[in-house]
Amino acid sequence: MAKQEVLGKKPLHILEKIRENLEKLNEKMEVMIELQKHGRKDIQPLPEAPLDVMTLLSMPDHLRKTAMTVCRLGRATAEETAQQTRRARAVESAYLNQLVIMGHLKKERKGRKAYFYVDRESQG
Amino acid sequence: MVVGKIIAVHSYKGGTGKTLLSLNLAATLVKHGKNVCLLDLDFRAPSLSTVLQIEKVGCWLNDYLNGTCEIDKVLIDLSDRFQNKGKLFVGLANPTTEAIRNMSSKDRKWEMRALGRLLALRNSLLTDKGFDYLIFDTSPGLQYSSINAIVSADLIIVATTFDRSDVDGTKRMLRELYDLFEKKTEIILNKVLHDISSKSGKDEVDSKIKDIYQVPLLGVIPCFCDILRGEGNIIFAQEKPEHPFAKILDEIANKIDNNMA
Repeated sequence: MAKQEVLGKKPLHILEKIRENLEKLNEKMEVMIELQKHGRKDIQPLPEAPLDVMTLLSMPDHLRKTAMTVCRLGRATAEETAQQTRRARAVESAYLNQLVIMGHLKKERKGRKAYFYVDRESQG
Repeated sequence: MVVGKIIAVHSYKGGTGKTLLSLNLAATLVKHGKNVCLLDLDFRAPSLSTVLQIEKVGCWLNDYLNGTCEIDKVLIDLSDRFQNKGKLFVGLANPTTEAIRNMSSKDRKWEMRALGRLLALRNSLLTDKGFDYLIFDTSPGLQYSSINAIVSADLIIVATTFDRSDVDGTKRMLRELYDLFEKKTEIILNKVLHDISSKSGKDEVDSKIKDIYQVPLLGVIPCFCDILRGEGNIIFAQEKPEHPFAKILDEIANKIDNNMA
């Protein structure tokens, strides 16, 4: 009986892993599409880029809106950010990941959810 | 539950009456039964401690932004002094030369953390402590501390005059600062020399301002000699409630309350 349960869980576990990996792949593709769309193929990941107000001011409008929303919420998923900005979740996901690549936001996975936040404490 | 709002009083140039407006607006809202917290974020030229004649201060707003004390330790309860339906608390900026110099030399990372601490006031003061309004009195122009205040606020009140350089600068800020942050912005035109005692005179000024700035006009305040004569010692909303300046502030406070509800 116990053996059957283990066997039953394994495919589920594998499917869950596949789903997670597909989500990660999807996020990466969204970022690539977004970077291409805005002609910024040269963006390199920055280890530390403080998200201060002058940086916010100099950002393109579409990223500023996302960054401001995360600043206000403190910590948010793409879904929560999209609810505030009234843009599609996939769009916000791309912008959030772009801000991570630029070094302005940090990303943390908890289970299947990815949380984005401004790391104010560790910087400096 | 209705959560309170944050108002930043800002201007392009200095001397437009931000502190006078912030303090009297806070006192007016308190008179209307609101619980208000007035914070002096003008770290370049702090003045609230002088205007309110507060000499003993345990912790300054500078300390809160530096992360060396919590906001509870900064706030001073002035409700007894005002004896109105609402409560008034203030948080002061340190006016010593050393503190001003220190605040002028902060780096981007510090400013980023300061923004985080200002944003945190929404939870600590509006949600937890139940204040109806936080009013930020800011430094003029594009200072870090002012932009931090603007980003944290729900409503920006821009104090402006008919001075030509002020008009040009304010127009630029509307386009290149408040609009970029998608902030609700309203204008208070201060120190007006035109005759606005008649309806036609007031309408003329109103339409001129709307043409120039294309944003709502919250109020027009004539240049009152009484205010100058007061030398910054009189809180008109509290001490002279029948003065025309106090009456205009009553109207402005009602407009804000209706717009923010």
